Amino acid sequence: MGPIMGMNRTMTEERTAEYRPSLDNGREGGLLAAIGQLRGSFAGSALIALISIAALLGLWEWLAIAFDVPTWLVPKPSDFLGRLVSDWQLIAGHAVATSITIVEGFALGVLVAVPLALAISSIGALERGLYPVIVFLNIMPKTVVGPILIIWFGIGPLVAALIVFLMCFFPVLVDAMAGFKAVDRRLFYISRSMGAGAWQSFAKFRLPAAMPHIVSGMKIGVVKAVEGVIIAEFIASNKGLGFMIMQASSFMDMPLMFAGLVAAAIVALLFNGLMSVFERQMMPWAHTGR
Amino acid sequence: MTAVQSETNPSASALASSGGSSKGASIHAKGISKIYGSGENAFRALGPIDLDIKPGEFVSLIGPSGCGKSTTLLLVSGLEPPSEGSVEVDGMPLTRPISEVGIVFQDHLLLDFRTALKNVMLQQEIRGLDKAELRERAANLFDRLGLKGAEDRYPRQLSGGMRQRVSIARALVHDPSMLLMDEPFGALDAITRTQIRHDLEMLWLETRKTVLFITHSIEEAVGLSDRVLVMSTSPGRIVEEIPIDLPRPRPAHLGEYPEFSRYAQQIYEIFSKLGVYRF
Ligand SMILES: Nc1ncnc2c1ncn2[C@@H]1O[C@H](COP(=O)(O)OP(=O)(O)OP(=O)(O)O)[C@@H](O)[C@H]1O
Ligand SMILES: [Mg+2]
Repeated sequence: MGPIMGMNRTMTEERTAEYRPSLDNGREGGLLAAIGQLRGSFAGSALIALISIAALLGLWEWLAIAFDVPTWLVPKPSDFLGRLVSDWQLIAGHAVATSITIVEGFALGVLVAVPLALAISSIGALERGLYPVIVFLNIMPKTVVGPILIIWFGIGPLVAALIVFLMCFFPVLVDAMAGFKAVDRRLFYISRSMGAGAWQSFAKFRLPAAMPHIVSGMKIGVVKAVEGVIIAEFIASNKGLGFMIMQASSFMDMPLMFAGLVAAAIVALLFNGLMSVFERQMMPWAHTGR
Repeated sequence: MTAVQSETNPSASALASSGGSSKGASIHAKGISKIYGSGENAFRALGPIDLDIKPGEFVSLIGPSGCGKSTTLLLVSGLEPPSEGSVEVDGMPLTRPISEVGIVFQDHLLLDFRTALKNVMLQQEIRGLDKAELRERAANLFDRLGLKGAEDRYPRQLSGGMRQRVSIARALVHDPSMLLMDEPFGALDAITRTQIRHDLEMLWLETRKTVLFITHSIEEAVGLSDRVLVMSTSPGRIVEEIPIDLPRPRPAHLGEYPEFSRYAQQIYEIFSKLGVYRF
């Protein structure tokens, strides 16, 4: 692409004629290569992961049988994977409840954090007043408010969702604030010169310009949410995988606890995967060649 | 002026036919200055200065860093109010940001998640202009600026020079009467800069927008302008006005003209006298 700039105006025609195909080739080649690489590396690493997990489980199974480990102490993979199959309705029900709690808490977190970040980063007084509070709340362990929330709202998924909200709210808020503040003032000037009103200025310039920061906050938020939701359900819910594991624990039902653990890992994988898809949607330039 | 130019230049029809007929605006600023802060922290960043730019004129503002060039651009566009004085565009006093304008800054300031074409079409979206017409104008500008084939690429997938070209297309697609450029080629390499300077000159010759062009580069100022305004150190005032009487389009290598060296010499001498250079 470099030499193009140096060419003479008189060569414009040849330049564009040569230029177009080469650009398209580059792009398709890049895209195909990227997909190929991705597919290759994804399939490859998935295969390796599957093989090593299978090997590990096989070793585990063999050791447990060889040393005659009791199931109530350490269940065999065949025990808890069996439970995953035989009790799939129960487990799936709780997994769905957990997922709904994540979605609710996370969505609420983003929907509150982004507008608040905009307000804070736009209004100086608000920032000076609120920032210390935010820093304090951010370092405070979120689960400690669980018992308080239980008194206010009673045990249930609502409290778990609120804890998830608190856990993913702060990373999104902090990164969104950084994002809004990093938007170049001259971009605002350009929007004004186009005659953009306050809403257009926000929706078409500021929000998208801050989006990479917001997305990176959301990525941290999702990790916190899937981690936090299980703990939140331990202490404050009557539904969800955390609750199911807690209940299984009180019945000493080791296989179900392990099955719950596997299900929780699957839910976490699913949400992280969804977040990656969302990130690609928001940052299209990152995966279309170059 | 526009009419005369496009009649004498047959290739001008390309832009003119796709709705590009807006005449250059006149800019008239009287005693404008900018004072940032207040009380003890008050800081005079500019002026007072007068500006008198004729419709279709290409005027450069050259001056040392921090003298208030960017501030001047903001005042002229109405994006910031002057602390003293007033600005008139086409005889109308400015009270809010003018919209009949295209602005290009040193950084392209394109939006990352919009393709090159979508970045340019933002003008149409925000202004609510006719989509088909603006698309045609955009296609034309992409063609003229050597951007063909780059329409669907994202800014991150373009070279620095191409990004700046897209930024220029964005500033012109809605056919404004005035183009304000703040060191638009400042971040580009010398080869790209020379080419893009020529491309801009050709576009200007066809459309005759009024251009206020801010630069640090004597070569750019002399290479592009009808008139160069030289500013003093901060708070900037206009200390000299140099009409550039060179034929157009001007060549890549300005050294071809002995007059170029004379103009350059003149500007160097002013800067030396002002203490901008300490050799
Ligand atoms: N928003 C602002 N608040 C306070 N001071 C400002 C502001 N904007 C600019 N200044 C000051 O005003 C002076 C002129 O700034 P300006 O950006 O207009 O200079 P410039 O000539 O464009 O400089 P450069 O060539 O480096 O771009 C500088 O001293 C700058 O620090
Ligand atoms: Mg400047």
